[in-house]
Amino acid sequence: MRILLVEDDLPLASALQVSLKSEGFVVNHVNQGKVALNALSAPDQDMIILDLGLPDIDGLEVLNQLRKQKSSLPVIILTARDSLESKVKGLDYGADDYLVKPFEIQELMARLRVIERRLGTASSALICVGQVKLDTFAHKVFVGGENADTEIECHFSKKEFMVLKALMENAGRILSREQIESKLYHWGEEVLSNAVEVHIHKLRKNLPDKFIQNVRGVGYIINNSY
Amino acid sequence: MSIRRYLVLTLFSVLTLITFIAAIQGYKVSMSRAEKQFDQQLIDIAQTLMAVQTTTSKIGQVTQVAQQGSFAFQVWKNNTLIIKSNNAPDHLIIAPGLFNNHLNKEFIFFSEVNFLNNRWRVVTLSNEQDDQNYPSISVIVAQPLQTQFALAQDLILAAVTPMIIAIIILSFLIYLIITQGLKPLHQLRTELGQRNTNDFSPLNLAVNNTELADIVITLNQLFSRLATAFQRERYFAEDAAHELKTPLSVLKINVHNITQDFSTHLSSKDLSVTANDIRHFDSVKELTNSVDRMGHVIDQILNLNRTNTSQIIQNSTRFNLNTLLQQVVAELYNDIAMKEQTIVLESDDFFLFAHEFSIHLLAINLISNANKYTPIGGKIYVSVKLINEEKNRGNKKIALCVEDSGSGIDPKEYQRIFDRFYRVGGDQHNSDVQGCGLGLTIVKHIADVHGANIELSQSTLLQGLCVVVCFKGIALEKEQGDD
Repeated sequence: MRILLVEDDLPLASALQVSLKSEGFVVNHVNQGKVALNALSAPDQDMIILDLGLPDIDGLEVLNQLRKQKSSLPVIILTARDSLESKVKGLDYGADDYLVKPFEIQELMARLRVIERRLGTASSALICVGQVKLDTFAHKVFVGGENADTEIECHFSKKEFMVLKALMENAGRILSREQIESKLYHWGEEVLSNAVEVHIHKLRKNLPDKFIQNVRGVGYIINNSY
Repeated sequence: MSIRRYLVLTLFSVLTLITFIAAIQGYKVSMSRAEKQFDQQLIDIAQTLMAVQTTTSKIGQVTQVAQQGSFAFQVWKNNTLIIKSNNAPDHLIIAPGLFNNHLNKEFIFFSEVNFLNNRWRVVTLSNEQDDQNYPSISVIVAQPLQTQFALAQDLILAAVTPMIIAIIILSFLIYLIITQGLKPLHQLRTELGQRNTNDFSPLNLAVNNTELADIVITLNQLFSRLATAFQRERYFAEDAAHELKTPLSVLKINVHNITQDFSTHLSSKDLSVTANDIRHFDSVKELTNSVDRMGHVIDQILNLNRTNTSQIIQNSTRFNLNTLLQQVVAELYNDIAMKEQTIVLESDDFFLFAHEFSIHLLAINLISNANKYTPIGGKIYVSVKLINEEKNRGNKKIALCVEDSGSGIDPKEYQRIFDRFYRVGGDQHNSDVQGCGLGLTIVKHIADVHGANIELSQSTLLQGLCVVVCFKGIALEKEQGDD
């Protein structure tokens, strides 16, 4: 996947380039908003990592112009502005994700992979957490040991699969019941109050013990370290 | 005391006092004048009687004269009463000794005597006795003192009454004038009182007196300077965030890159060391921890700056406290999972009218403290309760309560832990625990601005520290029909 990195701080940009390249991404780096807009007029980028505090024009303006050109290019904002307002503003302007500096590089990678899978450009549609493998393309889930022979395919309904996918994509992060519901149902759709609990219950039956954990009062989580 | 009340009261009392003193003085002077006047009157009457008597006199018969006025008189000729008013007694009015004593020395003398149950002012008038051929004639004229006094008082009261009425009218006028005169000041006060603390726009006030106009101009200048300073402070926070956070990110990424490079390098030499192993090397662990710690300190200092009072008041909104706590727990879950702690959040959908960012910060600090100071495998219990006060009905409070199973804090230290950079145990604090001693200062500050109070105690449930933040006033209703 080709990433356009728009960042004016050179040390940060070069360090990021190293990390991203080692994860197999192709990175183009520009340090100004106008240059970024020029680069974006050519359709050879898959996504953008955008800093907001640029020397010439504000990152939000770059995003705004990009969205005006009807481009649906995924954008991850990477910025030092950590107030709730700027975060909301960034997402309102059409950013796909918003990361505040200083960030964990693993966190950035995880979010990049989510976008990658969504675009279908992922080298593998597999999400692996521990013994569980989820194929986002074929809608299949495998649970098993070290080698492929011992793997068992688990069959889940569409909704159950979506719950598991949401949790695995966000491994290490808690998702509240409301957040999971919002991924399952459209606006106005009738939702049983315990729908998520029922899905989780069915998933747990077929998955390893303690794979999906409940944080009482907060939500559900699949731990990365599992 | 307001200026208006002060002016009205002082002017009124000074006016009354001075008028009173003047009246007393006038009363005294008028009284003595009146006395003289009355005495003169007595003499005049006596002289008239004397003149009449010297010409017409019969011997051996007392003539009684009907007297309508308040005077009483006697005329004595050679120690015999010849004429008297019908209200005068038959005997000598004044003491005979006194009469004889004076008779030969003075022709006119005054005295005060009692007869007929009254006290009288008496004048005794005698004719000149240089000639023996003439009989000695004495005229005594008396007037009751009470009458004299009442007359004098009537006169004086008539003079003083208008002054008292004048005082009342003047007081009323003074009140009106002062109220009118202070009106611009009152307007300024109202205008300033209605302002938000963060409203630095110039005063829109038409003042037509020089003193207040100057004040308004100075105030407006001050407002604009404050606004600039305020903005500069905010920009400083933003700039500092950017300037400090970017290098920190570089550090973080480079730590990651080093571990990656190292493991690739080693595995190329057939040494199977994974990046994860390297991350657990002491030096790398220290490096990562220090970077995280630095990030934490920067965050906390900026947060302290950012949660200034006016901003909090200005940007208050209504939000769901439960959702916010879910977010906070989710944010901190990695740390909690790392220490294998159990966290439980027990809350219904409570809505709070407050500054969301600050409350988020408050919750983060409280829960992350619980996480830090609770040992591995411990428990954290977060709950929100609605407290109905028995005393005043309808006054509901929302209590956010964070309890843990840690070692708690000595009650002696409860006061100090809110100080800046203070850490439990003072200099001997446990340096294994990351922190900079700003967390609870921020919590206290945010609680203060929202008018909430913080109570610390030992948790009865988990034996560790129990922090309760009670939101008054801003607490809103529980969502209806949400079951």
